Amino acid sequence: MPAEPAAFALPETAVPAAASRGWRLPIFPLGVIGLFLLVALVAPLLGLPDPHAQSLRNRFKPPVWEDAGSWKHPLGTDRLGRDMLSRIVWGSRISLSAGVITVLLASAFGAAVGLTAGYYGGRVDAVLMRVTDATMSFPVILLALILAVTVGPSFTNVVVAIAVILWARYARVMRGQVLTLMQLDFIAQARLAGAGAWRIITRHLVPNTLGTLLVLVTLQIGYVIIVEASLSFLGAGIPPPTPAWGSMIAEGRDVVTSAWWVSLFPGLAILLVVLAFNLLGDWLRDTFDPKLRQL
Amino acid sequence: MLRFVAARLLQSLIALAIVSVVVFVLARATGDPLYLILPMSASQEDFDNARRYLGLDRPYVEQYLSFVGRAITGDFGVSLRARRPVSELIRERLPNSLKLAAFAMGVSLAMAFPLGIMAAVKKGTGLDRAAQVISVLGQSLPTFWVAILLVEFVAGRLQWLPAGGIAGFSSYVLPGFTLGWFVVAGLMRLLRSGMLEVLDSEYVKLARVKGVAERRVIWLHALRNALIPVVTFAGIYFAILVTTAIVVETVFAWPGIGRLAYEGISSRDFPVIQAVVLTTVVNLCVDCLYAWIDPRIRYAR
Amino acid sequence: MKRATAMARVFLLVLALLGMMAVGTGWAQPKTELTIALSSFATEVLDPPLGGHLVKYYLSMIFDYLVGTTPDGQPSREGGIATRWENSPDFKRWTFHLRKGVKFHNGDELTSEDVKFSIMRNIGKRSTTGYAGPLRTLIQDIETPAPDRVVVVTKEPTLIIPLYLSRSLSTEGMITPKKYIESVGDDVFARKPIGSGPYKFVEQVTGSHITLTAGDNHWRIGTPKYKTMTFRLVPEETTRIALLRRGEVDVVELSRERVKDVEKDGFPIHYRREESILTMWWVLGADGRVPPAKDKRVREALNLALDRAEIAQSIFGGKAEPAAVPLGLSWSFKDVGFKQTPDMMYPYDLPRAKKLMADAGFASGFNQDVYAYQLPGLPEGKTMAEAVAGYWEKLGIKSRLIPVDYPAFRKAWFDRSAPGAVGYFNIANRDWIGAYALLEKQAYSASKPSDTVNDPEIDGMLSQVMRQTDREKINALMRNVYTRLRSEHLGVPVVYLHSPYATSKNLAKWNVGSVMYDLFFDQLASGK
Repeated sequence: MPAEPAAFALPETAVPAAASRGWRLPIFPLGVIGLFLLVALVAPLLGLPDPHAQSLRNRFKPPVWEDAGSWKHPLGTDRLGRDMLSRIVWGSRISLSAGVITVLLASAFGAAVGLTAGYYGGRVDAVLMRVTDATMSFPVILLALILAVTVGPSFTNVVVAIAVILWARYARVMRGQVLTLMQLDFIAQARLAGAGAWRIITRHLVPNTLGTLLVLVTLQIGYVIIVEASLSFLGAGIPPPTPAWGSMIAEGRDVVTSAWWVSLFPGLAILLVVLAFNLLGDWLRDTFDPKLRQL
Repeated sequence: MLRFVAARLLQSLIALAIVSVVVFVLARATGDPLYLILPMSASQEDFDNARRYLGLDRPYVEQYLSFVGRAITGDFGVSLRARRPVSELIRERLPNSLKLAAFAMGVSLAMAFPLGIMAAVKKGTGLDRAAQVISVLGQSLPTFWVAILLVEFVAGRLQWLPAGGIAGFSSYVLPGFTLGWFVVAGLMRLLRSGMLEVLDSEYVKLARVKGVAERRVIWLHALRNALIPVVTFAGIYFAILVTTAIVVETVFAWPGIGRLAYEGISSRDFPVIQAVVLTTVVNLCVDCLYAWIDPRIRYAR
Repeated sequence: MKRATAMARVFLLVLALLGMMAVGTGWAQPKTELTIALSSFATEVLDPPLGGHLVKYYLSMIFDYLVGTTPDGQPSREGGIATRWENSPDFKRWTFHLRKGVKFHNGDELTSEDVKFSIMRNIGKRSTTGYAGPLRTLIQDIETPAPDRVVVVTKEPTLIIPLYLSRSLSTEGMITPKKYIESVGDDVFARKPIGSGPYKFVEQVTGSHITLTAGDNHWRIGTPKYKTMTFRLVPEETTRIALLRRGEVDVVELSRERVKDVEKDGFPIHYRREESILTMWWVLGADGRVPPAKDKRVREALNLALDRAEIAQSIFGGKAEPAAVPLGLSWSFKDVGFKQTPDMMYPYDLPRAKKLMADAGFASGFNQDVYAYQLPGLPEGKTMAEAVAGYWEKLGIKSRLIPVDYPAFRKAWFDRSAPGAVGYFNIANRDWIGAYALLEKQAYSASKPSDTVNDPEIDGMLSQVMRQTDREKINALMRNVYTRLRSEHLGVPVVYLHSPYATSKNLAKWNVGSVMYDLFFDQLASGK
């Protein structure tokens, strides 16, 4: 995702006020995310057909509401006769976990780097930021392609390839936050009171930057899912037979008019989930931004 | 000021050097291009000869130094696949990527402005939400899917626009839109928050009290204030568009640098991989540098 | 104000850029232009010695071959520079009589000097064509007794010389201008080639297109019907089809899956029947075949477990035929008199397969790595690999799909670093000399890196073919090779693929031919 530039200023306290304008709780995004998370969690209990079970004779069966469709495969079957509904449900586990794991890894590492750089400043800051800059300027897709070609595409490689570049964004943003925070009185007071680096970081810096982190994390989960889809298109995504929404769309791209359901349903799934994460992230951003709070 | 810029430049060069090593190692880790270049009946002797002919049998350090040494003069070696100088290939293809990115930027701005202004002015209403959804939609759909759907329906069935290749203004529209939609959300948010910041300020409140027309308030004051960060980030986004266009270039058969990178990686073409990655990194680095220099951006970040 | 000027500048810049685009030129599509959209150009090279296979599509328009071919792959005296050729009784001297009055695109006359120069250059140090090896081993000298006569002298008696230098194989037989290359050097020539063919090179934009323009009258095709011939590289199929619908392109490579769609809208489809055979094989180990595939019964079982008819009907949309002989290049069967009998067809016989596995001691199955990648001309590659893995699952074989791309597989194959794994290729079908050339690579242990068969008997048979001069004996040897490949189950043949090419509705008649990597576009463009 392109740089996230929105003007982040920090609230005096970390307690977000409810957004007085705009929508209250974002029902739609939360609902969608909640639904997909739930489905992903209970997937094994839903009694769906095996997402890997092939049947060439049944390939490209249309969804139930079409003439040739049947309730046996409510959303139709794919190029190897596998049930689409089952693959989308199981795919939610893969795609969501890819997004979440990547972002958690990237944000943990990036936040750590950003906090360290912002807190210590000086030479440490300079060196860390140079590394961050260099990392941030490396194109994610190229790195993922190179990895895929070198060690072969896999779930792990997708996560690693994206996380290895993504952390830089967190580092930058966190550092910016920390720098602003460090100017504030209460940090100086804590120092005077004899608090050590660890205490200041954990007690004061982290809680006050958590909001920003949360916004970024939410926005980036969607980004990771989208990047995985692009990687699948290029042959570097999560490989078959694992059902991942991105590779499902990519596999169906040659039958986009004839067997439209093969691409459409996973596409809708990605659209809903990513849209939800993005809208949620926007709402979080609005909530944490004091400038808008006052209006 | 000069010392500041010089220091930043030096630091960027160091970063570049590190990246060059990383790129060199990565390229060579992808595999052996000889398996693709040499025919199946090649004997061990043929492999050795080819390795010697292409300079792939020298020690890695020597290869790296020669790569860097020539890269400084702009010579990136010869493509192992196409057997043509890499700098020639880049010269041929980079402008195509730049042009497409520029067009996409234009489309993006053309979408972001009305959406951002509307969202700011009508904050909290349904229009605000609609504008947000439309822009965020561009980041919620896989690019290749949008591209393929556009090619199939707008180009193939309706035949309103060309399907691929570079051929005149109209051929930029579909790929430019696909590429540009992805960054609309970021620009729109910038514009919206920038305008809101102004619309909320004392200065504007004063102007309103003084009876200045609302329209003037919006266009003259709020918009102008919001523009600087938008323009700056447009520059950064532009660089990102150049480097992430590979999917769009593939679907629309656009001979750009993204596609060159993909071909290079697929055929384990070291010189091409090294050159393209270095070029894109330099591209992005330059913009990072610029953004860093602009104090307003530094502050806003 | 500063901000205003900055704003204005940005807007002007954007407008200017947009305006720049508007001045671009369009693809005019008068009837005099022929445009062909393909999914891949492989190495995109313009110089014959650097060429492999896919480059033949356009190189055969720019250059002439020493020995021409008919569309069905028979040597022809009309299609090449050599109007006739003969061999000495000891089969060590091949004399080619050259056509007179052939000129290169720069006006130079084509003489025997050029032929000698070209052949040596095409098999020289720089060459990566693919079939230069045997020529290098065999050719002792090339004599030029007269401007219209070339004699190739070989170290041993052989029949292969005219065929290896013909259009039916690769690019070794393409004739390039000696004087011109010697004056400008290889690098310049590789970027701006000059040949003697019906079309002249105009420009290449890598990753995009290659444009050729017609000369005047050419002995191969008369007055060309199309003034310009453009080959466009369009990797995405949806885009190729959209280009066809829009009339921007006249010929497109089509996948089997989408034939119905395109046919429905009235676009003629030309098929190259059995254009390639999709065949799987085992990666050998350092010392050859490794268990469990070392056991003939296991190999047979794996073959019996595939329902080829279902694969052909479903995955390949009916545009495929079950294949029976591993590496069986059916276009060569007629040439060598090989008759594929019905009992050679593998039935889909799961019970018998299970029994064979049990006999071999693998009743509970084993682990099998199956590489899964796409290939040019085989978009169904991954699907097929998954399907095969699915079939083998029923034998208790736990397949692991290895998702790397073809270059990575090829490395594992050549390095023998994944013994026992299964890979595949859609091998272009070809005439008997091409079949021999392929088998010499893939079924002959002496070509160690690319061997997939590792069978001493077949090795013996193949080593005799090159030096054999009795055509009957050659045919017998080839027949035996095919028979043994099948009887020993030395691979897993899957299907023969028919390749569809869709054309615009008003295109002239076109015989796509059955020559490897050659669609005979000169037929389309022919004014004869």
